[in-house]
Amino acid sequence: MFQQTRTHTAVCLAILAALLAYAILGGYFAREIVVEIAILAILAISLDLVAGYGGMVSLFNGAIMGVAAYGYGALTVKFEMHPVPAAILGVALAATFGTLVGAIVANTAGIFYIMATLAFGQMAYTIVFQSRWLGGDDGLAGLPRFDFEAIGIDMNDPLVFALFAIVLVILVYLAAAGLLRSAFGRTLCGIHSNEARMRALGVTTWIPKMRALGTSSLLAGIAGILAAQHTQYISPELLHWTVSGEVLIVVILGGLGTLTGALVGAVAFVALKHGVGGYTDHWHIVVGIVLIAVVLAGGRGLFGQFHHLLGRRRNRAADASSARSHPHA
Amino acid sequence: MSESGFWALQLLNALQYSMLLFLLSIGLTVIFGLLHFVNLAHGALYMMGAYIGVSVAAATGSYWAAFFLAPLAVTAIGAVLYFTLIERLRQAGPMNQVLVTFGLIFIFLDLVRMGWGDIALGLDVPQAMAGTASVLAVEYPVYRLFIIALGLLIMGALLFVLSRTQIGAMIRASVENAAMASAMGINVQRLFVCVFCVGCALAGLAGVVAAPVFSASTGMGISILIPTLIVVVIGGLGSLQGAIAGSLIVGFLETMGAVLFPELAAILVYVLLAAILVIRPKGLIPARG
Amino acid sequence: MKTVMARIALATAVSAFALPAFAETSVGLILPKSGTYAALGNDIQDGFVFALEEAGRAAEFKLVTEDTEAKPAVGLSKARKLVLQDEVDVMVGIVSSGVLGAIRDFVDGAKVPLIVANAGNDEATGKDCSPYITRVSFSNAQVNRPMGKWMYDQGVRKVYTLAPDYAAGHQMIDAFAAAFKAAGGEIVGGEYTPFGQTKDFGPYLTKARQANPDGIFVFYAGGEAISFVKQYGSFGISKEVPLYGSGFLTSPLYVNAEGDGAIGVKTSLHYVPTLQSTENKVFVAQFEKRYGRTPSEYSVQGYDAARLLLGALAAGAKDRASIAANLPKVRYTGPRGPMEIDPSTNNVVQNIYVYETVKDGDALTQKVIGEIKSVRDEPNGCKL
Repeated sequence: MFQQTRTHTAVCLAILAALLAYAILGGYFAREIVVEIAILAILAISLDLVAGYGGMVSLFNGAIMGVAAYGYGALTVKFEMHPVPAAILGVALAATFGTLVGAIVANTAGIFYIMATLAFGQMAYTIVFQSRWLGGDDGLAGLPRFDFEAIGIDMNDPLVFALFAIVLVILVYLAAAGLLRSAFGRTLCGIHSNEARMRALGVTTWIPKMRALGTSSLLAGIAGILAAQHTQYISPELLHWTVSGEVLIVVILGGLGTLTGALVGAVAFVALKHGVGGYTDHWHIVVGIVLIAVVLAGGRGLFGQFHHLLGRRRNRAADASSARSHPHA
Repeated sequence: MSESGFWALQLLNALQYSMLLFLLSIGLTVIFGLLHFVNLAHGALYMMGAYIGVSVAAATGSYWAAFFLAPLAVTAIGAVLYFTLIERLRQAGPMNQVLVTFGLIFIFLDLVRMGWGDIALGLDVPQAMAGTASVLAVEYPVYRLFIIALGLLIMGALLFVLSRTQIGAMIRASVENAAMASAMGINVQRLFVCVFCVGCALAGLAGVVAAPVFSASTGMGISILIPTLIVVVIGGLGSLQGAIAGSLIVGFLETMGAVLFPELAAILVYVLLAAILVIRPKGLIPARG
Repeated sequence: MKTVMARIALATAVSAFALPAFAETSVGLILPKSGTYAALGNDIQDGFVFALEEAGRAAEFKLVTEDTEAKPAVGLSKARKLVLQDEVDVMVGIVSSGVLGAIRDFVDGAKVPLIVANAGNDEATGKDCSPYITRVSFSNAQVNRPMGKWMYDQGVRKVYTLAPDYAAGHQMIDAFAAAFKAAGGEIVGGEYTPFGQTKDFGPYLTKARQANPDGIFVFYAGGEAISFVKQYGSFGISKEVPLYGSGFLTSPLYVNAEGDGAIGVKTSLHYVPTLQSTENKVFVAQFEKRYGRTPSEYSVQGYDAARLLLGALAAGAKDRASIAANLPKVRYTGPRGPMEIDPSTNNVVQNIYVYETVKDGDALTQKVIGEIKSVRDEPNGCKL
C-alpha cells in the first residue's frame, strides 16, 4: 500500500534540493549529471509503479522510453512537426504501445511476465535498429528542444534544461503518488497482494493490469522525450534490454515499492558510476560489489532500509515510553 | 551443391546450435526449478568457462585438458558463490536475487577484463577434430558433430538420472514439493548444493565447448543471457523435457529463419517467445503441471 | 576526469626539434575506455601519446581523457564536459560511429576541432561534414572500394557478400559491390547477419556455397570476425570458396586468435604493421620497444592524429579556430605512406593495401600483395 510518510517527503525534498544546488552551483558537467539522474528517476518511478506496487516486473521501460523518443524524433526531424505536439504524440505512442502489450501479457506472471515484456521490448529494438528510414544504428540527429523564447526561457541553456528536468521529476512523482492513492492504485495493490481474492470481489483483473502498464509507459514516455531533447540525438540502443535492466537495478537499489526509493536509487547509481569512473575504467566491479552489499545488508534497498531502521527506532521509543506509562502492560 | 545437400547441411547446423543452447540452458532451468533461484550470473559462469578453457589450453597445449578442467574450475567458483551468497539469498525473493546476480555479472565482467584483457581470445579445436567428415552425404566439420554428440549424450544421461535413479527421484520430488520431500527424509539442502554445482559445471562446459566456435569475449556473458532465458522460458522452467524442447525449437527457428526469412531473422525468436507466453503462460512443458 | 601524466612521463624525452615554446595545448581524448571497444580506445591513445613523445613535445600538451563507453548519450555528455568545462583546444578520438553522430552537431555548433581517430561512417565526411571535423582514420567506403577492381583484376567474376546488419556493414559492402560491378563483376547474392548476437555463421556459409560464387567478400570486426573466420575454416571450404574481405576481418590485433582459417584470406586495409617502407619499419620498432606489442591500425590512427595536430601547431595555429583551419592543410609521409587531408571532405587521402594472411613460424602475419595509391572519397554531398 502506498503511503507518503513524513520520511518519504523529507528524503524527496532533500534529494530535490541537492539536485537543485548541484545544478546551480556545479559546473557544466554537473548539469549533465542532473539531467541523467532525472531521466533515470522518471524511468524508475514508472517501473516502481508497476513492479513495486503492481507486482509486475517489466523489462520493457527502456524500450518504451525509446518508442516515445523515436516518435518525437521522427515527427520533428522527418515531418518537421512543432516540438510540443510532437512530444505529446510521442508520449501517447508510448502509452498506447504499453497498453497494448499490457493487455497481451496480462495473463502471465513472475519470470514469464518479465520475459514477455522483454520480448516486446526487443522486438521494438530490432525494428528500430533495422529501419533505414529512422537512421538505423547511425541514429537520428537534429532533434529540437522546446522553444519557450516567447516567455523568456532559453531551453538551450544547460542550467535551464537541468531545472526543467527537475521540474519533470517532481510532476511525475506527484502524478504517480496521486495515482497510487486513487481507487485505481488501491485496486492495483490489491491485485498484487492477492489476485484471486480481487477476482472473487468481481474485479476483471486483466484490465487494471493493462492500465497499469499503460500508465507506466506514459511516464516512461516522458523520460523518453526528456532524453531525446537532452542529447538532441537518438539511437536504437535506447531501446536495448540492458537499459531496462539498469532501470530495474536502480529501483531495487533504492527500494522497490517505496516510490522515493526510485529517486534515491537513481542518484546513488549515477553518483556511483561517475564517482568510481573518475578513478578507474573498471567501475563495473565496484558497482557490482555495492549491489551485492545492499542486498546482504537487508534487501530493502537503500531507502527501504533507511525507512525500516527509522521505524524500528520509533517503535523501540514508543515501546519504551508506553512501558513507562503502563508499567504492567 | 545439391538441393538435398543444402538442406542436410542446414539440418546439421540447426541441430548443432540446438545442442549448444541445450548445454547452456539446462543448468539454468535446473537451478531455477529446484532452488527457485533466478541465476542471471549463469552467463558469467559460461564466460568464465570459456576464458579458463582458453588459459588451460594455452598452458598445456591440449584442448582436452581445458575440456575437463574448465568445468571443474567453474564448479569450484559456483560452490564458493553458493556458500557465500546463494544459500543466504534463496529466501530473499526474486528481486534481490536479480540484483545480486546482476552484481555478479558486473564483477565477473571486470575480473575477466583485468585477467585476460579486452581483446577477444580464440581456442583451437583439438587436432583430431579439425577436419570434416562425411555425414548425410555432405562434408560437415567434425567438431560440430562432436557438439551434437555431446549434447545428445548429456541429454540422455540427465534423462536417465532423473527418471531411473534414486537421486533423480529425490530431485523430482523436491521440485514438486520441497517441504514434503524434506518431511519424507530427503536431505533437500544437500540436494540443492549438488544440483547447483552440476548446473555450474554444465555452464562451464558450455563455455569451453563454445569457445572454439564463437571465441571468448568480454560481452559473451551478457549476450548469451537472452537466448538462454528464452529457451528456458519457452520450454518451461525447471523441466528437462522443457529445456530439450525449448532448445530444439529455438535452435531450428533461428537457423531456418536465417535461411528462409533473413530479414526477419533477428525478430523471429522474440515473436515466438511472445506467442508462446500468450498461449501457454507457463511455457510448453513446465515442471509443475 | 583523468589527466594523463604526459608531462611527468616525458621529463627525460629526447627533444629533437627546436620549436618556439608557446602556451600549452589542451587536448580532450574522447574514447571508449570500458566495454567491448576498450582495447581500441587504449590503442588509439597509446599511438597518440607515442607521437607526442617521438616529437619530444609531450610536455607542451595537457591531455584530458574521457570514457564514452561507446554510447552516444554518454559520448555527448563527455564531449560537452571537455568543451565547456575543461575548455580543451581540440578533441581527438571517437571509436564508434554512433557517438560521432551524436556529437557532430555539438562540435560544429561549438566550433571545436575534432580529429576523428576511428569512426568510419561515410556521412561524417559526406553530407554531415563540418569544417571542424577532420578524419584521419578512414571512411567505410574508402577501405573497401579498391577491392572491387582489385578482385576483378585477379579473375574473380562472381561474389557473394556477408556483413553484420548495421550501418557500417551496409556501407562497407555497398562500396565494394558498386566498385566490383563497375569493373564488370557480378554480385550473385548476399546476406546481412543480425548484429551483435552470439553468431552461428553455419547457415550463412552454407547459403553462400549454394550460390556458387568465385569468392565471398565479407566485413566483420572484433569478436565476430574471429568467430566468422574460425567457422569458415572449420567447414574446409577455402579451396571451393576463397575468402576475401575488409581488412578488419583479419586485423593484426586479433588474427592470431583466428587460427588456420585465416591463412590465405585476402583483404584490404589502410595499414598493416608489415608495410615495408622506412617510416613504418622505424615506427613499428620504436612502438614495440615502447609498449611491448606490435602497433595495430588503431595505434597508427592515434599516431597520425597527433602528427596532424603537431603539423597544424607548427604552422602557427594556436586556438580552436586556427587549429581547425590548419588541420586539413597538413601533409607528411607517415607509417601508412603519404598522408594528406582532402579539403573538399576533410577526410584523409591515403593508400589502401591489399594483404594476404600468411603463417610465419607460429604466428600469423600480413603479406602485402597490392597497393592502391591515394584513395580519395567523393564529396557525396559535403559542402565545405
